[in-house]
Amino acid sequence: MKKWIPIASGLLAGFVAATISFADFSNSTNNQVASSTTKSDAEKVYVPFGEKDDYYLFASGGHSGQMFIYGVPSMRHIRTVPVFSPDSATGYGFDEHSKKLLGDYTWGDLHHPAFSETNGDYDGKYMFATDVGNSRAAAMDLETFTVKDIINVPNTSGPHCAAFVTQNTEYMFLPTRFAVPIGSEYKSLDDYSDQYRGVMSAVTFDQNKDKLNIAYQVALPPWSYDLSDAGKKSSADWAVMTTYNTEEATTNLEINASQADRDFIVLFNWKELVKMVADGQYDEVTGQKMIFPEKHKGGIYLVPVAKSPHGVDVTPDGKHFIASGKLAPSMTVFSFEKAFEAIEKQDFAGERNGIPIINYDSIMEREVNPENALGPLHTQFDDKGMAYTTMFISSEIVKWDPKTGETLDRVPVQYSPGHSVAAEGDTVAPDGKWLIALNKIAKDSYLSVGPSHPESMQLIDISGKMKVIQSSPVNPEPHYAQIIKADKIKTIEVYPKDENNKLATYKQDQARIERNGNEVHVYGIAMRSKFIFDAKAKRPDVIEVNQGDKVFIHLTNTDFDEDITHGFAINSYNLNIEVQPGQTNTIEFTADKAGTFPLYCTNFCSALHQEMTGYFLVKPNK
Amino acid sequence: MKAKKLSLVSSLVITLAAVLVVLSLFFPWWQMIFFAPQYPEGLNIIVYPNKLEGEIDIVNGLNHYIGMENFSEENFPELAYLSYLVIGLAALTLLTAILRKKAVLYGLIGLFIIGGGLGVWDLTRALRKFGTNLSPTAPIKIDPFVPPLLGHNTVANFVTESVLGYGAYFLIAAFILLLIPLWKDRTR
Repeated sequence: MKKWIPIASGLLAGFVAATISFADFSNSTNNQVASSTTKSDAEKVYVPFGEKDDYYLFASGGHSGQMFIYGVPSMRHIRTVPVFSPDSATGYGFDEHSKKLLGDYTWGDLHHPAFSETNGDYDGKYMFATDVGNSRAAAMDLETFTVKDIINVPNTSGPHCAAFVTQNTEYMFLPTRFAVPIGSEYKSLDDYSDQYRGVMSAVTFDQNKDKLNIAYQVALPPWSYDLSDAGKKSSADWAVMTTYNTEEATTNLEINASQADRDFIVLFNWKELVKMVADGQYDEVTGQKMIFPEKHKGGIYLVPVAKSPHGVDVTPDGKHFIASGKLAPSMTVFSFEKAFEAIEKQDFAGERNGIPIINYDSIMEREVNPENALGPLHTQFDDKGMAYTTMFISSEIVKWDPKTGETLDRVPVQYSPGHSVAAEGDTVAPDGKWLIALNKIAKDSYLSVGPSHPESMQLIDISGKMKVIQSSPVNPEPHYAQIIKADKIKTIEVYPKDENNKLATYKQDQARIERNGNEVHVYGIAMRSKFIFDAKAKRPDVIEVNQGDKVFIHLTNTDFDEDITHGFAINSYNLNIEVQPGQTNTIEFTADKAGTFPLYCTNFCSALHQEMTGYFLVKPNK
Repeated sequence: MKAKKLSLVSSLVITLAAVLVVLSLFFPWWQMIFFAPQYPEGLNIIVYPNKLEGEIDIVNGLNHYIGMENFSEENFPELAYLSYLVIGLAALTLLTAILRKKAVLYGLIGLFIIGGGLGVWDLTRALRKFGTNLSPTAPIKIDPFVPPLLGHNTVANFVTESVLGYGAYFLIAAFILLLIPLWKDRTR
């Protein structure tokens, strides 16, 4: 009789469960959509093991002379690539190729990285960088993340205002931060205005030979050139750069270079300059083709701008350039189109140092001055063309609309951002999504390591209202960075066999030591887990020389296997190189110390890595 | 008319077998894949009738730790002439298709069985040679072993998997095709 109770209650429970689970479809669909867009901050930056970041971040390493590679959005540090400073971790500056590239310099100040471009978009082939410390420029191959060439730039001192490449990587321009006399000769600072110049170099890169070359130089006035950008699309033949110290002060620049209400943006047509050089409109000085603007007229113009500007950035559509006032403090939007028109009509307000000054009012679109936003330095863009400007003094990022000047959003950062970088944010097609503030002051952000602090990079989600969602410490010092979509970079894992390389030894029985007078050439092999220097010797892993011999060790890693790197170091000889899988690397030195010196593999390679050793024996002179 | 002559269909089937035998030359016959924690993607030794492919150098580099001899084409002289034998076998198969004689077909099937048996014996011999002839001075000492012709085996941190390649399947298919005329043209 009571059997109906469990049956009925069971049915009822079933209906209730079914109703809860399946009823009201519209509502549950909404919930699903909502949940996918409301990922927590932790979920947004979490890249689980087995998955990889969407973007690479290439951050300048400042006075470390290195480049830091991070993943975005995880903000994980993946690699440090040495560029202008030696690095024993990779043998950079020790092996022959990199030693020659570095010359006698033991440090560099890597400021502004720039990707090679095709049609104004990153092509993922090369990364260029400049050294403000010792006036150099470098080209890094993105197949191997190694530096292929470094060029010393004469007549110039500190290419801070670089690197920036034209939209098909025809040229990389290196304007200087410090004015010096031509040839860096001695000249009295009393003759600064007459004898000093702010030389800009137009550098080409031969992608077949991996070679940087100076095409021509321009002897600009002795001002400081700060930042720059190349035009895009309709302004592709043009480039812009900011100046300060148009006062031509020679001491206490803090005060003396901050007096004039207006400095300049230099606007130049690089195609016209190329043509002028082709037509012989240049002087040959110190072996360079030098354009002197007061003498070789054309192609270069000045645009007055609020005082001591820092960044100047071209909008993704190539129609405008935006100067950040630093001390003004405001952002000024200029029109390329109006500038071209003014040049056409010779709508000039006089000239400075023989260079025409374009009428400010004719080409200025708007001055943008968000309330209490102080120290605007540098602007990046998102996929909708909105501008993001770093405010150094008020420690924030301000999002604004270049078309209206309207402030759209602001977010504080910790603290004092110099540059910021958005995902492909200086190309013709920025990705939006992410912006990273490159902060100069980390202060209380991380566990203390004493008085010397790291800098800080903060990841900002810009897909909606700006929000700082991750913060990463970084070694000094990220001046500028570039973010590239990960799938644009195609690396190799193993160096291919090069049968034409006479220094390479791929077969074990061909490992040999050849003596030629007091030169000793070792054609050796590094493999898991031994060195073979002389296949026929009683002890194939021993190199024996006489004191004073010049020793060349050409070492080939014959493990053509991913991530099997070998190192090679000789104890007490201050030497260490790496050979990547398949690579042949040469180290050259004089055996000036007699004695017995163990040698060993420095890069852990296998279970028997510890056994991968040998001896370097140097017989003393009688 | 000779009653013993094979039918035209049978002749075509045998021709197809000849084509498959030739085709097998262009595909791997046998393959061993090595998996280890460090090599989740697997390392391959791929055996063609005339060459070895795959990550042979890497496998050799690792095998030296247990004192195994190097795999190389020099160590397998069979690779120098095997493809000629295969072409010969294909020619004989084609000849059988043209002659359409049952006796010849029997002979051919016999040849296939002998050839296949020799092949299996040769490969087993090679596996035994490499697995049991380990250098006594190897840094890592393991017991001699014989990897199976087909299937899994575990040695140290490596799991090997031996599988037949397309070429072997083509040969097996060719052999089956040769059996069809026996049934089809059976004396009623």
